[in-house]
Amino acid sequence: MRKIFLIVLLVGFVAYAGFNLAESVTPYVSIAEARASSNSVQVKGLLDKTFQPVQSGDKFNFSLQDEQTGETMRVIFDGMKPDQFDEAYHIVAIGKYAAADETFHAKKLLIKCPSKYEGQKPQV
Amino acid sequence: MVGNLLLGGGLTAALAAMIICLAQKIPSARTVKIIALVSAGFITTASLLLWILLFENDFSVEYVASYSSTTLPTIYKISAFWAGQQGSFLLWLMIHAIVGAVLTFRRTSAAALGIYFLMQSVLVFLVLAKSPFAEHSAQVYEGVGLNPLLQDFWMAIHPPIIFVGYALLAVPFALSLGNLLTEAASRSWLEEARKWTLAAWGFLGAGIFIGGYWAYKVLGWGGYWGWDPVENSSLVPWLLAAVLLHLINLARKKPAVLAQAHVAATFTYSLVIYGTFLTRSGILGDFSVHSFAGTSIGVTIALANALVLIGGLSIIFAKAKQLPQGELYKSYGESTFIILLGCLLLIFIATIVWIGMSMPLLTQIVGQAAAVDTDFYIKSTSPIALALAALMIYTFIKFGRSISLGGKIAHVGFLAMLVAIVISAQGETVTQELQTRQKILVTGHEIIYEGQVFKEDERQKFYVYNVDGEIVRALTKLRGNGEDAAREPAILKNFSGDIYIAPHAPQIDSVQELMLTKGLFAMDGELGYIFEDAHIDYDDNNKPIQATAAITITDGEISEVIHPTIIVTPDGGSSKAIEAFKGKRRVRLTGISGDLEKARLEILPTLDKLSEMPITATISTKPYIWLLWLSVTAICTGTMLAIRKR
Repeated sequence: MRKIFLIVLLVGFVAYAGFNLAESVTPYVSIAEARASSNSVQVKGLLDKTFQPVQSGDKFNFSLQDEQTGETMRVIFDGMKPDQFDEAYHIVAIGKYAAADETFHAKKLLIKCPSKYEGQKPQV
Repeated sequence: MVGNLLLGGGLTAALAAMIICLAQKIPSARTVKIIALVSAGFITTASLLLWILLFENDFSVEYVASYSSTTLPTIYKISAFWAGQQGSFLLWLMIHAIVGAVLTFRRTSAAALGIYFLMQSVLVFLVLAKSPFAEHSAQVYEGVGLNPLLQDFWMAIHPPIIFVGYALLAVPFALSLGNLLTEAASRSWLEEARKWTLAAWGFLGAGIFIGGYWAYKVLGWGGYWGWDPVENSSLVPWLLAAVLLHLINLARKKPAVLAQAHVAATFTYSLVIYGTFLTRSGILGDFSVHSFAGTSIGVTIALANALVLIGGLSIIFAKAKQLPQGELYKSYGESTFIILLGCLLLIFIATIVWIGMSMPLLTQIVGQAAAVDTDFYIKSTSPIALALAALMIYTFIKFGRSISLGGKIAHVGFLAMLVAIVISAQGETVTQELQTRQKILVTGHEIIYEGQVFKEDERQKFYVYNVDGEIVRALTKLRGNGEDAAREPAILKNFSGDIYIAPHAPQIDSVQELMLTKGLFAMDGELGYIFEDAHIDYDDNNKPIQATAAITITDGEISEVIHPTIIVTPDGGSSKAIEAFKGKRRVRLTGISGDLEKARLEILPTLDKLSEMPITATISTKPYIWLLWLSVTAICTGTMLAIRKR
């Protein structure tokens, strides 16, 4: 009796956690893979310097470039331009690609900086 | 060098203490005390040395150059000690070693001390694997300085308290294994383990709560918890330590629970090490907002983790037959059953957090790396937390009388915390552009943005708001170059909750960059600039210290020569904006070519202009958030009260 109780509880928990997990897992993909996927994904890339990032209202637009292939993709971030965005050497965008407007809609951005500290790098 | 030698001394003594304790059944208590004190002495001296190096601005040490600078205020040099990974490991080790010395004075069994000093040796290895005393390959005259975000009172107390919690969790682990090795069936270790686990739980909890309060009040992350791996990695051991605590208490009355208590002690401590591995090995580099990137000691920590987990479980398994057997509980109404069920729910929550934070690692092993979004944690844990709350209320009604005063306070605190988490999340959030001195109505409150006020040294400024007639100021720390470095939110506290205004980076589009060529004239639209000359100051070893330019500014009638500089720092250089032309201009030198023929000058908006600029802010209400701070204070207070002997 006791064992059955425990087993039911454990199985229920595993099923429940597994279901939630399957729903919210976001794989880490390249830009090409992000374009092909309709699920939530994470894309890492560099800032595409040929496109000037713009903040319009509470949406932030920029272009992400794949480090390996050089492929670029427009990104709309649902929020304000993050701090240290300009100093970022890597940007991780988390969200979904929409084929309709050929844009990646990011819910979250992670900014990777070479240094979060003093000043800019001058060329001496 | 001296630092590493001191650590070596600490390691030798810790190993000696371990061998004596494990090899001899009853070692001379005096010898063990002396060796433990020697080890702690060496390690503490090494720590003091690091502080001295920080105070003396000894930039020949890489760690000092990376986390301190000559301009860093003295008070922050104390906390620069644990600003980086190497230093924070040393802090952990120091606390561990001091606790170890205390243990030798408290009738701790020799075997338990042996295990404890084994862990102490492992920690010294971890510090030495990436030593804070490593010397800098290049000669530098100015350090990078402490991240302005970390130049804060809370930085001074948050990490040490967390590490006290981590260090103290080694005690129940050592007591459990020590006891298994010598007299497995005995329950004599439980009372001592109860006290240390309570202390560990209280400190770790306090550290986590202070971190949350810091994130909320100062860092302006918009909330107190973000399910970041670094946060999760301290939450999981805290949840498991709660399980351990309850199992220890149960085992004192029910011998059959002993096995579970041993397993919990091993799992709790190995998750402390696991969390360290996950957040410090660099494998989460792309998944965490905390910036511990790319370090090479992952393998060392992984081995330490394997040692704790596999070693602990092997000993438990080997001694399992000697552990008391029997029925855990007779009926489902019994308090034992209810507490065990509560523990199981805590383990479920811990497992969910563990899976979430480990996803990048687990998925990397099978193939494509993946992470979970923060919804996963909230969605998965909330029904379990609800069940836990219901169970706690039921237990209170039925068995409340037998719970000690401290226990009552802590449990009520925990329940109140769950309630506060839910209530405080029911606020509104609006992101909006604010014009100076324009009244707006947001989330039911009248808000007037009054503009920015700069401090004289230009290292700090305030965003000033008038909220419902009250003035609230939000501090922003500035970098040397005048950019925003750390932006604190403005918070108006009320009984009904906080009004929380987090400013975003001002959109400065009026920064103009001029590329100047020596002797040639350039215009910024109104004024003319001539780059006259530049020189670089070198040290005795022919390394550049700073670059200075001479630039003439003129409006056709009046001319002024300015001398902006760039100071060389380990990661490039830093330069400060200077006022020119009687406050009509602010300029900053951002680059000089190697042949001194070209210079890059930034024309920045003047402070008057800046302070009048519209800004965008996220305004939110946090209903009854004070209940959260009150409830977590109750948890810690109750826990500490419960340490007293019952």
